[in-house]
Amino acid sequence: MKNNDNLNAALAAATCALLGSAVAAPVAAQEESSGWSFDSTLLYYGESDDRVRDISAAVAAQRDFGDERKFSATLTADTLTGASASGAIALDRPQTFTSPSGRAVYTTAAGAVPLDDTFLDTRFALNASWTQPLARLYTVSAGVGFSTEYDYTHLGANLSLARDFNKRNTTLSAGVAWSQDDVDPVGGRPIPLAQMLDVGNDSNKRNGGESKDVLDLLLGFTQVLNRTTVLRVNYSYSDSSGYLNDPYKLLSVVDPLTGDTLARVPIGQGPDGVYLFESRPDARTKQSLYAEVKHAFGTPVMHFAYRYMTDDWGIDSHTGEVRLRWPLGDGYIEPQLRYYTQSAADFYRASLVNGAALPRYASADFRLGDFDATTVGVKYGHGTTGGNEWSIRAEYYQQTGSVPQEQIIGNQARREQYPDLSAVIVQFGYRFRL
Amino acid sequence: MNTSCAATLTRNADHWVGRFVAMASPCEILVDDVQASLAQQVLDVVASEAWRIERKYSRYRTDSAVHRINDSAGSETVVDDECANLLDFAATLTRLSEGAFDITSGVLRKAWTFDGGNHVPSQAQIDALLASVGWHRVEWQRPVLQLQAGMQIDFGGIGKEYAVDSAADQVERIAPGLSCLINFGGDVAVRNARPDGKPWRVGIENCTRMGAAERVVQLSRGALATSGDARRFVFRDGHRYSHILDARTGWPVRNAPHSITVAADTCTQAGTLTTLAMLKGCNAESLLRESGAQYWLQ
Amino acid sequence: MKKLPFCLVLLGLAGCAGVQPWERDVLARPEMSLDNAPLEAAIDDHIYFSKEASSGGRGFGGGGCGCN
Repeated sequence: MKNNDNLNAALAAATCALLGSAVAAPVAAQEESSGWSFDSTLLYYGESDDRVRDISAAVAAQRDFGDERKFSATLTADTLTGASASGAIALDRPQTFTSPSGRAVYTTAAGAVPLDDTFLDTRFALNASWTQPLARLYTVSAGVGFSTEYDYTHLGANLSLARDFNKRNTTLSAGVAWSQDDVDPVGGRPIPLAQMLDVGNDSNKRNGGESKDVLDLLLGFTQVLNRTTVLRVNYSYSDSSGYLNDPYKLLSVVDPLTGDTLARVPIGQGPDGVYLFESRPDARTKQSLYAEVKHAFGTPVMHFAYRYMTDDWGIDSHTGEVRLRWPLGDGYIEPQLRYYTQSAADFYRASLVNGAALPRYASADFRLGDFDATTVGVKYGHGTTGGNEWSIRAEYYQQTGSVPQEQIIGNQARREQYPDLSAVIVQFGYRFRL
Repeated sequence: MNTSCAATLTRNADHWVGRFVAMASPCEILVDDVQASLAQQVLDVVASEAWRIERKYSRYRTDSAVHRINDSAGSETVVDDECANLLDFAATLTRLSEGAFDITSGVLRKAWTFDGGNHVPSQAQIDALLASVGWHRVEWQRPVLQLQAGMQIDFGGIGKEYAVDSAADQVERIAPGLSCLINFGGDVAVRNARPDGKPWRVGIENCTRMGAAERVVQLSRGALATSGDARRFVFRDGHRYSHILDARTGWPVRNAPHSITVAADTCTQAGTLTTLAMLKGCNAESLLRESGAQYWLQ
Repeated sequence: MKKLPFCLVLLGLAGCAGVQPWERDVLARPEMSLDNAPLEAAIDDHIYFSKEASSGGRGFGGGGCGCN
């Protein structure tokens, strides 16, 4: 028989001539064998300057039982190594700190932003959920989650209900989620604003773990705007209470004139400066409003999302994200751009001034500061016969922060005030059915 | 053949089911959630189109165009546009299959009865019939057709798939964008996807166990056609001869898959691929693989 | 309450927008689904949760971790 490419072209042309009208839409057929579909991913996250490196792998499995009843489960494992900025400020001399375990010391070079003691942590997480129709136009969904790492465990559950209106053009949903997390820091929980002491002295720590409870409420609205556009708007309310401190973050106590960390003479091994452990409130209420739109311009699809968040720690944030999926060959290419900006928490302090009254709450954690972050990335995906798809994504994340002018004291002005962060993210994905 | 001109409409959980008989096959349409009156209209339009095509192209009906053509073998007949399109299409298939597919091969039916028995005609019988087989013996100059005396044409190989696509066109005309699944005896087409994205589920019958679906294919959009020997074959000397005859030799195809199902944009295209693949016998799978189409074999 | 007029706007929007069931061909494409890459979304949420002070928005977070 003739070359099969010619066969297909000839067949398509002959069929077109026979049927007259052009039948535009390509076939979309899929064998339903066991009903299991999988999505797997492997991710590498690496920050510059040898800070945090993370490798994670996740597999999500979903089974369709027909009649819109679905079960899904996700298993994630990740290994984190490296260190983040601890909150202490950089100095012109090297600095020594007691490690979290209280059994050793680690040093930071002169001029460098102090990082936490390097750690290796492996986390496992498992989430499962079940979705089913409750009545005509009503869908209910329930899920549980569990995760564990060496100093932290999480247990959570969620429940949500959705109702369709208006020929399924509109969907309203409401959901609630509870979680209880247990924190058991290495070396014990530091007393808030206690001073970092010498190796072997744990009078500044409390034994035993602490817990953190979170309650989340979600109200959602999804609306088909027209044949090519769909909109979703979510309002979330979140209430956390319990142990919200980061047990490994510090603040440097500095001289009011020079802005340099007060020196300290350790007895034996210990810190050579005055550092206090951070203190955060034991409750936090967050509210956020999120909107996203997907619009098809012919074959390409654009996705735009915006989120506004505000909380009672004084942090306000705006997030804007845009993606454009463009067909390319047998696959697609999807450039992505994300812009994030947040204002500092009320109790964010770059450092504590010696002699001034000690505030009730203080943290120099860069994640609570004033910063902008931008992510640029691109994703390429390719479908295979059988409906499977593999994809690869590369992103660059850059965080640039600033410290309020009134908090920059003396010599701090000529050093890096905010530990800017940049990271590369590479992700492989593969979706398949069995 | 007396076709029942009754079409029934019933309601399932979230869709309508219309049933009728046409082209010697059970036909059904599944219509997505719309008002009863629209569902009835759609069913009427599909059934009418199926019966129209059956009336026009059935070789059994004395009032069909095909009967008229076969009756006047030896002299010229003029055919209309639709018939001319089908003849052109058949000619293309004959060319693409290098003669294996041929709408003039119907006369070989006289030698072969595919009833599951083991009767195999003699070579002499077949040779005698082969004298009346071959598109190259036909004078076809659109719109004028002339068969040699004793020749017959039969659109059986492409008629049902064409009817499915034609019926889908009719539905699109009265309810553009409506998602409905048209199934004429296993040849299926879905022109538009369902609004909530749920696919239609089509069971592919298991050859060895009648009535039990072996696979389910989720068809969101597009067409499926199935070609197989499940019910019409001859079994002899350990060989299963499917009912699909190679027009060049007069013999059925040997060692073809028991059943081939293909997914394509239109039912005609899907059906053509299954037929061309079947005609390759043991090489069916390589043709299908190279065609790039999705297929399922048994 | 500040949120109420916003709700009314949304419901008003619901009334005048929408498509007929047979016009959902484009919306049926997988890339038009709002949750077409849930695993990727969960991974992104986790990365940003550990580096920023905001989280979620799209749905419930997959689970807590010691990273914030």
